Amino acid sequence: MANERLHLTDVTKSFNGRKVIDIKDLKLGIHPIEGLIGPNGAGKTTLMGLITGRLPMDTGTIIYYPNVDGGAIDITKKRLDQVARMGLVKSNQVIVDFDSLSIRESLLLALTPPQHERFFHIFNEGRLEKEVEEQIAEYLDYFHFQNPEGHALSAGEKKLLDIIRCLVLKPSFLLMDEPTAGLPDDLTRKVMDLMKQKANEGMSILIVEHDLDLMWELCELVHFMAEGELLLQGTPDEVRQDRVVAEKYMGADHV
Amino acid sequence: MGVTLVAYFVYLVSLIVIYVGLATLLHLQFGLTGIVNFGVVGFWGLGMYTLGVLTVQYNVPYLVALLGAAVVTGVAAFILGLLILDLDSQSVLVATLAFATIMSHLVLTQKGLTNGVIGLGTVPSPIEIGSNFTSNVILMVVLLVAVGAIVAYAFFMESAPYGRLMRSIQDNETLAQSLGKSTFREKLIFFTVTSTLMGVLGALSGSVEQFLVPRFVSPDITFLVWIALILGGKKRVLGGLIGIIATFVVFDVLVETYVPLPDGYALIVPNLKLVLYGLMLVLVLMFRPLGILGEREIA
Repeated sequence: MANERLHLTDVTKSFNGRKVIDIKDLKLGIHPIEGLIGPNGAGKTTLMGLITGRLPMDTGTIIYYPNVDGGAIDITKKRLDQVARMGLVKSNQVIVDFDSLSIRESLLLALTPPQHERFFHIFNEGRLEKEVEEQIAEYLDYFHFQNPEGHALSAGEKKLLDIIRCLVLKPSFLLMDEPTAGLPDDLTRKVMDLMKQKANEGMSILIVEHDLDLMWELCELVHFMAEGELLLQGTPDEVRQDRVVAEKYMGADHV
Repeated sequence: MGVTLVAYFVYLVSLIVIYVGLATLLHLQFGLTGIVNFGVVGFWGLGMYTLGVLTVQYNVPYLVALLGAAVVTGVAAFILGLLILDLDSQSVLVATLAFATIMSHLVLTQKGLTNGVIGLGTVPSPIEIGSNFTSNVILMVVLLVAVGAIVAYAFFMESAPYGRLMRSIQDNETLAQSLGKSTFREKLIFFTVTSTLMGVLGALSGSVEQFLVPRFVSPDITFLVWIALILGGKKRVLGGLIGIIATFVVFDVLVETYVPLPDGYALIVPNLKLVLYGLMLVLVLMFRPLGILGEREIA
């Protein structure tokens, strides 16, 4: 068993005096694909926001291990962009896109290394395209967009583009916030197959998802959260049969 | 045509070219990146007065003074950008407007340097050969080359990776950050560079005007450049050029200079002009919200 990718200790976050996150000790990324489940309002998205530096946390520390055998980095106070450059990225639950970029341009943007993005470099587009052509083609061949040279049209295309934008960054740890919400079934299957393949290649993935059948199938370890706290960790079978989980998800009456 | 008329023509072309340069720089800041710079005249005026003070009061050689104007505007833009560029767009608008107002007040109050309302002159030309007229023609050519370079830069830059980065920042800055882009740093660099160029244009304008008075640093220039850019098309490189033609060239140059008006009406034109600007702006925003040139084309 490999070491963890993330270690959170005493992480708290309050909004308007209400504590929405209170995590004592949590290790993520021990298994290639892990799941994070919990009822709406459990704080799953907020927790991911704290990890990626999009939201500042009130207390606590987060330690990140970018490589299995590499050193530890304290990312507690790191910004979103700094964390992303360390290979820790998150795909979005809500539909987001760059309105003025085509699908291809969006991927080019994600693949452009900083040394190509300088105000005095104005003739380097051709060179950049040559460098990253293969990587873009890999995804555009796998997923079929109606028109890769145009904008992402449907909500599904935008959602898919968001996931691919994350993948081309070659993250070592990928957080996915409800990746299949809004995707048609056949695409969900394709995305999941790709996730498994990436996990086999060494990428750690944490999925937040309400489609529990999918979670039981994909994840080797599932974390269960409710009201900002981590209540349970275990294999899909353990979590599925747990009384607390059923209560929190479906209400005590159904148990 | 008499020499006076040609000289006036050279003066007008120089002004047009300067305004096109400013509008194109504003396109880069606002139309491309989304930085709402309502203090265009602040940077322009700072460059203009830095050059004026250095050359007239301290007899600094022209090129050194021009460099000085660039450095002073650049430092001011960098410090201002550091303070405001991570704020929302309304705050940036107010802060840049405040910056321009401070510049305008400094010009009025720092009489030891600027001579206040009395005015500062005579500002020399970059290259002084022969007559005043020859110098002005050379200056016009210098301006044409400089602004041509700015427009060409905008063209190439926008189809380069850097232009794409700037567009992504305008579209969704958080999303750009989540892809590892240090957006604040990039905005700060770009704002500093483009504002410095506004200052350099201001310095060259000082030579065009030759005699500097506080009126030049009033918000009129900011408004002219903004109206022109929005009319022409904020998302297009040539939006500034088209907009300046549709406003300044048509009204200030063609109508005021060439349309024969009956006695008594000549004074109405400058006021009527503002009404027509406004009317045109309303019509464009109603029927073509992205300006005459419209949306940028997908590369």
